[in-house]
Amino acid sequence: MMRRAALLVLVVLALSPARGFAADPVTRERLPNGFTVIVRENPLAPVVAVSLLVDMGTRLERPEQAGISNFVHAVMVKGTQKRSGAAIAERIAALGGKLSAAGESDYSEIRGTALARFWRDLLGLTAELALEPKLAPDDVPDERDYVLSRVQRRADSPASRAFDEFYATLYGAHPYALPVLGTRASLARIDHAAVVAHYRAFYRPERMVLAVSGQVTAGDVLAETRRLFGAMPGGAGTPDPPIPAPVFAARRVVVEAPAQQVQILSGGLAPSMDHADHAAVKVLGTVLGGGMAGRLFAELRDRRGLAYNAAAYYDPVRGPGALVLYLGTAPDNALRAEEALKGEIARIKREPVSAEELARAKGYLLGRYAMDRRTNERQAWYLAFYELARVGADYPERYRRAVEAVTAADVQRAAQRYLAAPTTLVLRPK
Amino acid sequence: MLASRVPAGLVLALLLVLGAASGCAVVSDGREGRGAGGGDLPRPTREVLPNGVVMIVQPHRASDVVALQLWMRVGGRDEAPDDLGLSHYLEHMLFKGTASRPPGSIDRMIEGFGGASNAFTSYDYTHYDVVLPAEHVRSGIELLADIAVNASFPPEEIDGERQVVFEEMRLLEDDTDRFLVRRLYETAYAEHPYGRPILGPRPLIETLTRERLDRYYKKLYAPANMTIVVVGAVTPRQVRPVVAATFGRLAARPAPRATVAPSVPDGARRSVSVDRAEKQAYLGLAWKAAPISGADVLAVDLLTYILGDSPSSRLNLAVRERDRLVFTIESGYGAWEKGGLVTVTARLDPVNLDRAERSILDVIRRVQAEGVTETERQRAIITAESAYAFDIETAEGLAKAYGQAETTWNLDGELGYLAKLRQITAAEIQAAARKYFGTDAMPYSARVRFVPR
Repeated sequence: MMRRAALLVLVVLALSPARGFAADPVTRERLPNGFTVIVRENPLAPVVAVSLLVDMGTRLERPEQAGISNFVHAVMVKGTQKRSGAAIAERIAALGGKLSAAGESDYSEIRGTALARFWRDLLGLTAELALEPKLAPDDVPDERDYVLSRVQRRADSPASRAFDEFYATLYGAHPYALPVLGTRASLARIDHAAVVAHYRAFYRPERMVLAVSGQVTAGDVLAETRRLFGAMPGGAGTPDPPIPAPVFAARRVVVEAPAQQVQILSGGLAPSMDHADHAAVKVLGTVLGGGMAGRLFAELRDRRGLAYNAAAYYDPVRGPGALVLYLGTAPDNALRAEEALKGEIARIKREPVSAEELARAKGYLLGRYAMDRRTNERQAWYLAFYELARVGADYPERYRRAVEAVTAADVQRAAQRYLAAPTTLVLRPK
Repeated sequence: MLASRVPAGLVLALLLVLGAASGCAVVSDGREGRGAGGGDLPRPTREVLPNGVVMIVQPHRASDVVALQLWMRVGGRDEAPDDLGLSHYLEHMLFKGTASRPPGSIDRMIEGFGGASNAFTSYDYTHYDVVLPAEHVRSGIELLADIAVNASFPPEEIDGERQVVFEEMRLLEDDTDRFLVRRLYETAYAEHPYGRPILGPRPLIETLTRERLDRYYKKLYAPANMTIVVVGAVTPRQVRPVVAATFGRLAARPAPRATVAPSVPDGARRSVSVDRAEKQAYLGLAWKAAPISGADVLAVDLLTYILGDSPSSRLNLAVRERDRLVFTIESGYGAWEKGGLVTVTARLDPVNLDRAERSILDVIRRVQAEGVTETERQRAIITAESAYAFDIETAEGLAKAYGQAETTWNLDGELGYLAKLRQITAAEIQAAARKYFGTDAMPYSARVRFVPR
């Protein structure tokens, strides 16, 4: 369609300092049954976004039922007690909207968007999907085939495959090792009864957070939310199972797959998003691989032509994080690229970063963070996620101050601690 | 393409791999968004400077940032046979340095401000994008005017970038969805410039010299081919003098583009089958349709929405949900200056290749025979309205819509797009289906199959 961006064009254009966003009023309310709702009034564009997060994801899964959180949501969107999946799809399209549901590692999400004048319909459909899913036995095998096709697609994609193998190696027994989509074996085991049981165990008001952002009035949205979600029975659910700790093991794993490019991933376990070292590791990752002035991009790609992709990733997560340094390169360059990557890791542990590099990294990091929170869709997600992770509504401001306070010594210490003995995965063409 | 059916985990991985790390992106599949006007914003200011540079300014106060985009009327279609790939190579080189800016300093400056840059090459245009805190608007405009004419092409940077472009070629081949659309364009357009690889053929890139690159740059990077778009927390009064003092001072000179014949539906049918390493098959069908300024562009746009834009589209309901022949299916419309192409792409089990194709063509024949419903027409219009409303949430989204319209079409057309779209009737949509979407004897312009080895 003309108005849709190409896959490639979805590069996030990052930047700008964290200003100009605080002004929009945010209202938060916990209903008597434990359900939480957050509304952000943003008058600027005639749109609305909702994010309904549920405390349910791979972090609470076991290997034998890996992917069940996501699978439950795949079946949920097939229809409700009132409407077929096709009827829901037609209804949401008529609102100029989108509605989807998926499981992730730290949460599951039903998310939707629409033109703002249809906010009430969007909220109603979201509630219908969440509270009255049909979960029909017939939908289970069909959706299993569909999810299996996506598992296959990930296995066929060199980059996705490399990241999946890397996390499996790095996290070991910790459930972040599990693929969000599940595995062939686990999906074969998940039957209709398991889907229903899992849904019932987790769709409880105290585990749910709804955030709404857009051209709406908080009072109206709160009233509608109380009406839609207030009747859910609250009360004690079962406590979460203990989560196994990752077993530290610095390993080098080589995988062969049909591909043109070699993928090289190297990194280690890192702090969770509410840990005191979080900001220092964010800055460390940005010095190494954030943006085009990051060391991996500037040195390995631009100066030495050893890689095309060169970046570092460290996502904020509730459990142990992962700092990943990533290169995508030609087979002829692979050995030199891996050596150069080791060289960069050794260098940042050995030498403090310069004041200019530190300032660049902080500017880039905070700019990107502010840029990412400009749309209603992202705002709704951030508000709901911070609430679910229980890090506090002032997290963005505390995070900004923590990043600004990071020193060159902090970065060096973080490198020495979290990149002490990196795990490495190489995926190369067969 | 990354809409609701794709799991966030995969989106993330794709962004990680395709986006965050790549200095540029090639728009090779024509799925560029043409922004739609008619929203709540005031009219943008558009001025043509005496030397031919077009300036477009739009205040946008959603945040304290400004999006600056330099749009060049230079793209893959301007390349002579031994220039293939130069538009894209230039795009890689411009942020590398100028006479007064050493290699690396441009990225450090932008990222130090908390900003970001990117650049894109397509058939009809190339654009250079910067987003910055609004207080740095002057530095941003000065930078874009500088790279537009003073790029220095340091020899060691040119050599280093060769490997990067080769990597980009490998990456494209590893990305099945993008590669499928690339092959569809190649197959449908054959010898026409829209059938060429934007990245260029490898042998030409291997032997590319600084002189050739510089000659191509000096020939086409002239004021008459430039549009500077500024959208954000700024006013035309602030921006005008800065643009006048930078872009306004560039010397006017003729910069004729290569003549490219329009590509019209020609009754040809081409088909290729490619052996691939994936375990799943991919099917792509394409039809030549109206170019961006064509009279039928709005009807084809609505038809494409109705066929394959969402889970409630006809192809999804029939081929995926009812017949269960594909895992995913969608349609796209690339409306270019000299031609248009509608594509339908699906991922499926290889045993279903023939049946899925028949099912897709059945859906199309039915639209041709019976037309579309009023409900479908209205839903497609609301979808377009909504896509526009979400685009204008960010300064860069709006800047892109304006830049693309000015470069390949015209700004007024862009601003009146939604209003005109609302007037398209169901009969016009059916007529477009009959005109462009083939017959039993000639069912498509191009077909590409990826078949597991």
